[in-house]
Amino acid sequence: MPASTTPGRAVGAPRTGATVAGFLLRRAAGLVMVLLALSVMTFALAQLAPGDPARAVAVDRIGDAATAEDIETVRAELGLDGPVAEQYLRFLGNALTGDLGESYRTGQPVTAELADRVPVTLWLAALGGGLGVALGLALGLASVRARGRFVRGMLRTVGLTASAVPPFWLGYLLVLYLALTLGLVPTGGMAGPGTWLLPTVVLALPVAGVLSRVVAVTVADALAAPHIQAAVARGASPRRILLREALPNAAGPVLTVAGFTVAGLLVGTVIVEQIFGWPGVGDYFAQAVAARDLPALQGGVAYFGFAIVAANAAADALHGLVDPRVRSVR
Amino acid sequence: MIRRQRGAGTALSRRRRRTMAAAVPLVGFVLLGLSAPWLMPYDPTANDLAATLQAPGGEHLLGTDQLGRDQLSRLLQAARISLTVTAAVLLLSITLGVVLGVTAGYVGRAFDRMLVGLVDIAMAAPALLVALAVIGVRGPGTENIVLALALTGWAPYARIARAQVRGARSGVHLDALRVLGAPRRRIVGRHLLPATIGPCLVYASTDLGVIVLAVASLSFLGLGVPPPDAEWGAMLVEARPFLDSAWWLAYPPGIAITAVVLAANLLGENLTTGDRARPSAFFVGRRVPRRRPKSAGASVNAPVPAGASVNAPVPAGPAADRAEPTKGSAVFEVQALNVSYGDQRVVADMSLRLAPGEILALVGESGSGKSSSALGPLGLLGPSARVSGSALLRTPAGALDLIGAPETALRQIYGREIGVVFQDSLAALNPLRTVGASLDQAIRLSGFATDRAAVRLRRASLLDAVGLPDAAPRYPHQLSGGIRQRVQLAIAVAGRPRLLIADEPTSALDVTVQADILDLLRRYRDQTGAAILLVTHDLAVVAEIADTVAVAYAGRIIEHGPAHRVLTRPDHPYTQGLLAAVPDLAVAPGTRFVTLPGAPGAGPDSVEGCPFGPRCHLVQPGCSAEVPELDPVGEAHRSRCVRHPSARVAVRPRPRGGARA
Repeated sequence: MPASTTPGRAVGAPRTGATVAGFLLRRAAGLVMVLLALSVMTFALAQLAPGDPARAVAVDRIGDAATAEDIETVRAELGLDGPVAEQYLRFLGNALTGDLGESYRTGQPVTAELADRVPVTLWLAALGGGLGVALGLALGLASVRARGRFVRGMLRTVGLTASAVPPFWLGYLLVLYLALTLGLVPTGGMAGPGTWLLPTVVLALPVAGVLSRVVAVTVADALAAPHIQAAVARGASPRRILLREALPNAAGPVLTVAGFTVAGLLVGTVIVEQIFGWPGVGDYFAQAVAARDLPALQGGVAYFGFAIVAANAAADALHGLVDPRVRSVR
Repeated sequence: MIRRQRGAGTALSRRRRRTMAAAVPLVGFVLLGLSAPWLMPYDPTANDLAATLQAPGGEHLLGTDQLGRDQLSRLLQAARISLTVTAAVLLLSITLGVVLGVTAGYVGRAFDRMLVGLVDIAMAAPALLVALAVIGVRGPGTENIVLALALTGWAPYARIARAQVRGARSGVHLDALRVLGAPRRRIVGRHLLPATIGPCLVYASTDLGVIVLAVASLSFLGLGVPPPDAEWGAMLVEARPFLDSAWWLAYPPGIAITAVVLAANLLGENLTTGDRARPSAFFVGRRVPRRRPKSAGASVNAPVPAGASVNAPVPAGPAADRAEPTKGSAVFEVQALNVSYGDQRVVADMSLRLAPGEILALVGESGSGKSSSALGPLGLLGPSARVSGSALLRTPAGALDLIGAPETALRQIYGREIGVVFQDSLAALNPLRTVGASLDQAIRLSGFATDRAAVRLRRASLLDAVGLPDAAPRYPHQLSGGIRQRVQLAIAVAGRPRLLIADEPTSALDVTVQADILDLLRRYRDQTGAAILLVTHDLAVVAEIADTVAVAYAGRIIEHGPAHRVLTRPDHPYTQGLLAAVPDLAVAPGTRFVTLPGAPGAGPDSVEGCPFGPRCHLVQPGCSAEVPELDPVGEAHRSRCVRHPSARVAVRPRPRGGARA
């Protein structure tokens, strides 16, 4: 809403367009479109495959003796007959009812296999992400408050290094020193609480590194805003200014990056589950890729895509809750 | 001016040095990758089962792996492969991105909207997961890696190219070309494309790290570069079984990846933001310890470096410049205030005093140091400002010198004894808070009320007082400038301060709103007996509200006295010029505006002698000898001009340094 130029004493009630509920509703509508786009992309994966998947499956089952009729039977069974649009609608309908087909590799329904593995990955991502966000915020704010150029430079190097070390190498080094040399934690597997430590840390460090830099830069920018000067002039304490005046005002960039970070977190789960031998979705996805197991692959893409869309939507909604300017109708 | 530029130059070159240092590993990566075939001591894929797992040294500088292959050779080959794949991905991504982005930016309409949507999706998708999905469908192999990574990699380049083209389109330059009849192809190819290449290459230097890490990750998962060729990620996987026995296998590839990615990240941060510490009032008092001068007689308390002080006019001692002793005790008394940024002084030996209930207008043009004089004593100018002198605030609890006072003591004063109103009301209010929330915070901080009900009550009475009973639920961006300024005023007086500092509170407002704000200021003074220091450039505002006027020029007060006297019988040629330059509706149409000749003075030390000399119509040779004293010219009226009959023309011998312009 543009500022009115006429001087007036009467100030009406807030415009309904800027309410929190309206804002969330509008964002939810946009979300449906994004999810549809995701389903198209997932479906399109099958179209990218070189060769004829029906033939491949038929040959796999029957052997080289598979006739043209066998192949057509398999094609109908896989839902690969008819025009592409019809195939897509069938795929979408099935996906909405929780049917993503059977894995070529195991013959089991993909959704059932995913359901077994999702909790593992979600827990891992939640713990690693939570630790990463906490570390990143702490590191970033510390670097804003650091007095000397040297300390600031050190914190900056730590943050940038944490985001540059490849997680698989970091995982190996931690296994080497903490598990093999010192014997503090198990080298892998998923049993006691001790086994959660290394995967969580390996997952958290890159997140913390990236986030700390974003926090450091954006909060420093937010501190340069004139309303900080005004807050100082009202007698607000440095802690209050940092946490109540500057941090919320840096929420836009920080939340946007946090949304992106979730994507990085999911990549991280693929690698971390490989390093430590965890039975999560990341591991399932990597196996599907290696085996070129199309339905399992689509299942993985759907899961990851959904998670990323959800994370970005959550970041967006959170930003709207913090910043009234985002809520107002543009 | 010259000195400031030199200061900026060293900061720039430091940043450039850091950027170049960050680029070194990247350049090394490229050079090593290019020259790997000539540097490799052994065939990187040749097994030598007689020499497996040899420690570094001797024939094999970095040792051998489990198949007896030379680690150094493999490391170099891996660099070459990584470089090749990365270069291919970048080439494909940049080409695709620039073509799509330039087209979208130039054509616009539906194509543009579609591209923006695609870019958003591609940028939200994690490159590695997309690459995995593509490889899962199409199988592993170097070409598939390149294709898969380019599938998301083009998006940022498209965004950059589109932004560049749209920026260029809005300029008149392109219109001119079109009018001249340049064909579209030529406009795009010769003018739009080249402009996008630079920013794209800058981004590519940082993108490189992301791609190297992605390629290594794919190889780590066994889906990247196929064996027996070496790749850093693959080398780490192969090293895993020998983690605790052959350390030399696990370190070099990991260090290589980290170095390249870290360098790219560093470069990216240096290029986009740098490690800047933006000036903020937040850091004042923690960064720069402000020192209080030992005695009032210490003549040079501004941190003017030795080299500069040779040329600079000798600042007059504060004793000579002290405000005239007046009846009653001042609530706020500034003496010998100096403010400088680096070695550039902007305020020189400023002295001001405000009695309770007095409205003092500090008048001057932009750059005259008036805002620095008003906000400097409060420490609100940011960490780069250096403030010295004294600024006594007298309260019933005693007197406190704001300059040099500990941060905690200042916090007790701010909001309670001193309120500040800033010029830009939109920027000075936290955009995330409603008016009510901002007010509540100010009331709590001022200690005026602490429990919820009392705060509510105080808030309501403050809003009533500024005529905005319904404004509490509104956000600053929903309000007009005049209303926001009232809100700021309500916030500033929340703790009923005995000193109100208003920095150009009306300069962004139209005249009727301006009158309302001035009216509120005057009412506050009348009701509470507070002193108001009003910074303004507007003589109409001064005439409307001020009891006393201090005219600032080039960081010094050049005339000071009761408002009615200064406005009707100005003494200083500058004040006379200012008053003559006020447009008068009564003059005949067609009469030229009277203006002051010349440019505003740069600072207190930029001119020898009287800073106004170069623009003064009364200038005489003696004027450049030294800065004139602030001499009495009437009751409580003083002026800093040697031409005044009562001025003492005392030319003291002074050191002659280099000549100054």
